[in-house]
Parts: sequence; structure tokens; C-alpha cells
Amino acid sequence: MVAFTQKIPDEMRTDRVIAEVWDATFNLFDGVPTQEDIDYLANNTPKQEGGRYRPSELALARANKSLRVFKNAVDSLSKGHQPDIDLLTSVGYLMRTSAVYGSGKFGCADRAKIADREECKAPFQMELLTVYLIRWFTIDSVEELAKERGGKKAVKLDKTTRQFIGVGNATGLGMAPFLLKHPALIHNWVVAKETALARVRSIETPIEGTLKVFLKSLLQVSQHVDEWNVEDTVQADRISCLTDEIQSLRIWCEDEFNISRPYPWNGIYQFVEDNFSLECQEMVVSLIIEPHGSLVDDLAETMSTNLIPTFNADMSLAQLKEVVEDSYQWATSIDFSLKESQHHFWYYSEDKLEPRFGSKGIDDGVEQEMPLAIGRDVSQLNKVLSSTSNDISISEFVMMYPEFRHIIRRIQNTFVRPYSEVQDNLLSESMRPLDLLRFKLAFFGASKFDPKSDLWTRISMYQGAPMPDQLSEPNHDCWSFPIAGRPQSFPCINCTCQKVI
Amino acid sequence: MSESYLTISLNEVLFYFTRAAFGVEAPIGLSEDFARANMWISENGFDPSLCSLKALDNLDSQASSLSIKFEKTKAGGHLFCPEEKLLSSLEASSSSVDWVEINSRVSELKISNVDSPFLVVSALGANKCNGLKVVWTDQDKNQFQVNLTDNEEWEVLSSSSNPIELSSNADVLISPLEMSDKSYKGKSVKKFKLAEEKLRVLHNGVKVEENWQAIYSYFSRCLVKSSAESRASGAGAGLVDTD
Repeated sequence: MVAFTQKIPDEMRTDRVIAEVWDATFNLFDGVPTQEDIDYLANNTPKQEGGRYRPSELALARANKSLRVFKNAVDSLSKGHQPDIDLLTSVGYLMRTSAVYGSGKFGCADRAKIADREECKAPFQMELLTVYLIRWFTIDSVEELAKERGGKKAVKLDKTTRQFIGVGNATGLGMAPFLLKHPALIHNWVVAKETALARVRSIETPIEGTLKVFLKSLLQVSQHVDEWNVEDTVQADRISCLTDEIQSLRIWCEDEFNISRPYPWNGIYQFVEDNFSLECQEMVVSLIIEPHGSLVDDLAETMSTNLIPTFNADMSLAQLKEVVEDSYQWATSIDFSLKESQHHFWYYSEDKLEPRFGSKGIDDGVEQEMPLAIGRDVSQLNKVLSSTSNDISISEFVMMYPEFRHIIRRIQNTFVRPYSEVQDNLLSESMRPLDLLRFKLAFFGASKFDPKSDLWTRISMYQGAPMPDQLSEPNHDCWSFPIAGRPQSFPCINCTCQKVI
Repeated sequence: MSESYLTISLNEVLFYFTRAAFGVEAPIGLSEDFARANMWISENGFDPSLCSLKALDNLDSQASSLSIKFEKTKAGGHLFCPEEKLLSSLEASSSSVDWVEINSRVSELKISNVDSPFLVVSALGANKCNGLKVVWTDQDKNQFQVNLTDNEEWEVLSSSSNPIELSSNADVLISPLEMSDKSYKGKSVKKFKLAEEKLRVLHNGVKVEENWQAIYSYFSRCLVKSSAESRASGAGAGLVDTD
């Protein structure tokens, strides 16, 4: 990774796409850069979207300091003591990224260049590697700055604190269009997760030690959740409820009868699904999958796709009508004649192509709406289909109505992939894009979800993850749900990382 | 993106060309097909803006139309524009791919008065419609024959050295590829190995020249002007983060 830092005015520090300067900017370089490469990047990387990149650059990213945490860390270390752990815990990171681009963005390498490489088969591996390296960079930075300032008095972060520090991320609306534009990919992600869950739930007799690990992890998660503090009232209520529910689940699990029956994982899942909130259900899904690494890790490679959606002109109109009726009821049942059903629209601003969410009648740009209104488009198609004879072919139909070509192609490629659609009206007045952002971020391993409005959120990544020099230690990969001030080790079993590499 | 000569990625071809077509009011489905065809053009080492800009200009100036009709003929089928205009290659290419898919590549399809024939070829290539030949004589009397042999290679036979991507305004005939079509006598021949060309592009990028600026200009029509209000509220986040 090639990194550049600069001093920037505080008032220009923003998480938005429209930012013009950043504390640090990065490229993940494919190979070892020459001085010529570094000179080229020095002229481009600090400009981010304003620069141009080449197929040798696998990712482009930037990060800004959390000013108070960064300052406290440098000040403290330079004076010979550790940073304020409470302050660090309240934020969780020294710097946060505000964009990580890959897959051909701004001239970077296309996904196809690296897709066949063993380490790139699962999606977003290069982007996630970049984020991991940025985390390392932020930790090295505070230690280096403290040394410069404090000289011999300066100390390094202690091992536990070092490992606890994650890397932040601020995410806005850009992730929502991504979900809509990659239905097959999203389907594969959810199938992988559901398959993992199904494999665990179908275990009749638990693998030795796994139940014990699960029970320990419930305690660890309780403590982890105690450190998850947010200002957003909706999320704060959910966290509070989650705390109570994890406690209730621990009590329920103390009754041997509940967990000593056949298919105990299924029993736990059913109990949680029947009694607890969605927040708790998803947390428990993670917890019951976690001790079963060797059973589910192979699914990572099933999460990518190279499918290019094709238009099937051979499908009959009768068949298309049947598919819409069977698989798109969620769309055809929405009344789009209501004003509140078409309240919003999505668009790209000329301001650095920043994705924005507009309101009809209030904001300009409805004519340039992004084609993300899947529900509305299906509904309109359905109306025209219902008054069209089955005698004509789909190819004739799209010659008459070319405006439906995209939605027919979408239907043809998604009805066989039941997890591919966000089955809701994204134009609705009550639409909360934040839920879409969280869905995607969760697949990246994001934690400490911290909504800042209905349109953007902050999160932490790699909190508790091993540092590069720990990657060869046994048990290095079991670090979920870290707790401040404690050595990071999630109860580990049945996991390939127990072997020394 | 203000330079007139630069290197872009295949993903950028997809992103910008989809929206450039949308910018001249092509429906989004046709715009997506158009962008895929341009990716194929790029993967084969061509500058996609060369043949595509003409097609977009024609739509924008209404010299071409997306209106299309189909009629059956003895030999197969005929696609044409019912208006007194050029048939836009955006519509012609999607409709010809549809026709080839349905008709199992056994009969002929004539497409009348297409503005950018190479876009039709590219759409067929992008959709792996192989075992076909595409033949036309353009308005400058240049003759072209493209043999879409298989998933590994294709070739261009031409009567002149004029670039195929600039060939315009022609009646195009698509028919099954026969052994006899591989007679190269008196013709300029250029062969393309798909995998090799694509690998080269993945490592070097797609070079676009002076027409790129105009493509970007059509793309820009999809962007919404920013106002103080939309800047403040459209993305939900504040303008300064000094926590």
C-alpha cells in the first residue's frame, strides 16, 4: 500500500464524497512500486476522485483522523503513557475511511484482472485488505508521531490496546445503489449466510466443545454490547433491548434441558426467533455460526459472481406474466398512484457524482433519476402486460415498449435468485436508506453500527483483529466481539486458525 | 475527467456509456446493452468512443430513431425504422441479438439503414452470438464482413483500410457463418483473439481519445445540478466532521 499524508484545515475535514482534502490517502498497488510509480501516485492519490489511476492500482482510499482520539493517543504516548482507554473505547479507532474504491473506479484495475487469483476469489478482498492495512498505518502513525514529539520518553501502544484499535468508516448513500445494481452478487452473499446457518442448525449432536464456546461467547458479547454506545435513539433502543435479550438467552441456556436436546443449535435459533428482536436474532446467528469455521468457511468462495445479466428474448409473454405474478407480488401490491409511494428519487449530483436522495416537488433532478425504482418499474410493466395479448413474443413486446427492456431483463435474472431483490419500495416517503447500508456493511464484518442520520452511518472494522506480526500465531483469527482493555481472543474451536501457519 | 486523451477501465466504460446513452434519452435497458457492446469493443483494443459517439450524436440530433419494425421474409427477417430516419444502432443491436437468440442462427436477418454497423457486431460479440457473419457496404462504399467465429476469435474482412469503427450508414446482413466465408482473396483481413486482447486491456486499460469529451458530456446530462439545499441535505451528512 502506498500512503500519503498532509496537514489539512479542520474546517475542510468531512466524511462526505464532496470532500476535497483528506488527512491520509492510499492506493493498494499490484506488485512493488517503482519510484516512477510513487511519483505518479503522489500527483494523483491525494486528489482522490480528481486523480487518475491505472490497472496497477487495485484500490483507492482515504481516511481522516478522529481528532480527539488521535490527539490524545499522540499526546499520551509521547509523554510515556497509554491513551485514555475510555475515550478510545467510545470511538474505537484513530482514523476512519470515507471511501474505499476498487473494481475499475477512476481507472483502477478492473475486477477481471484479479478475479482468478486465489486470494481474490471471494468478493472485495482487495478493498478489505486495504482497510486492514490502513488500520495498521494509523497505529504506526500515532506511535511514530509520539516518538518524534516525545523522543526517548515516548512509548508504543501496549499490545492489548493496539489490537483493540480498529479502523472507522463513514458510509453514505453510495452503498444503496450498489445493492440494487448487483442483484446476483447480493443473492450469493445471502445464500452463503443462509447455507452456513442451515448447516449449523442441522447438526443433531453438537461438535465437541462448541456449546461451551457458544455459552462463553454470550458473556463476551454482553460486554461487547455494553461498549456499543450510539446517539441515534432508534439504534440505542435496539442495543438496549439486545442487552436484555442476550441476558435472557444466557438464563435460558443455563437450563440443561434447553440445550442438551438433539439439534441444539436449531433449538437455540428457534427460541431466539420466537422471542427476541431482529437485532438479537442476527447476533445469535453470528454466534452459532462462529464456532463452526471448518463447516462453513468454504462458503466464502461462493460469494462472488461473474454473471452478466442477459435478456432472454425466447421467454414467452405468458411465462413473463406468470413470473411477475409469482415472484413480484411485493412490487405489484404497492399502490404507486399514492403520492407517498413516489415521494423520493435517487440521483447523482454533479458535485463529484455524490449520490443523493431527493424529494419530488422539493428537489430538482427527478428527470435524471437513477434507475433504482425496481418496484415501481415492475408495477408499470405489470399494468401493460395485463392488457397485452400473449400472442406476441417478448422481442416484439420490447420493440413496442423499449422502456421495459431493463426491468424484464432484471426479472428474468432475479426470479431464480430469491435473495437478489430488496423487496420494498425505495421511493416511499417512509424509506430509510440506512437499513440498506447496514445490510451491506454487515457482510464486510462491520461492527459498532453508529447511525448519524437516516442516510449515513459510521462503523468500526477490524477492532480486535490481529496485527500483521500476530498472523502466524495460533488462534489469530478468533477475535470477534472484542472488549476494551482485554487481550482479544474469542473462544476459539473447530477453526483452521488454531494451527500455526 | 477533463482531459481529451486518457486511459479508462472497462468498468468505467460500462458506467459512462450506460449513462451517456441515457443522456440522449435512450431507455435504460437499451443503454445498458449499448454499454455492454462498448465493453466488447474496448476488450478488443478499440477506442469505444469512436463508433459510439456518432450513434449518440445521431440520436441526440434526431437524425436516427429508436423506432423499429420487424417483418418476416423468405430468408428470415427484416428490421427497419418506420420513420424517414436512420435506424439507431442502439435499437438495431439489441433487436438483432434478440432475433439471433430466437432464430437459432439458421436464417438471415437484414437490418436497414443502420447508423453504426460495428455496434451491431459488438452487441452480437458481447452476447456470444457466434457462428455468424455480418456483412455491409457503408455510405462510402467500403465493404465489411465480420466473422464471429467462436468464443475465442473473430475476424474482419474489408475492401479498404478504413477503420471499421468509423463505418456508418449501411444495410447490414446477419447470416450463419459458412466455410466458404473464410475466403480472404483480395480482402484486408484482421483477426482478433478475444482472450489475448482482453488480457492486454486489463493490464493496460482502455485508451480513449478526443471523442471521449463528447461522451462525457452526454454522460453529464444524467447529473443533477447541485444547490446549497441539496448539498446540505441530499446526502444526510454534515459538511464538516471534526469529532
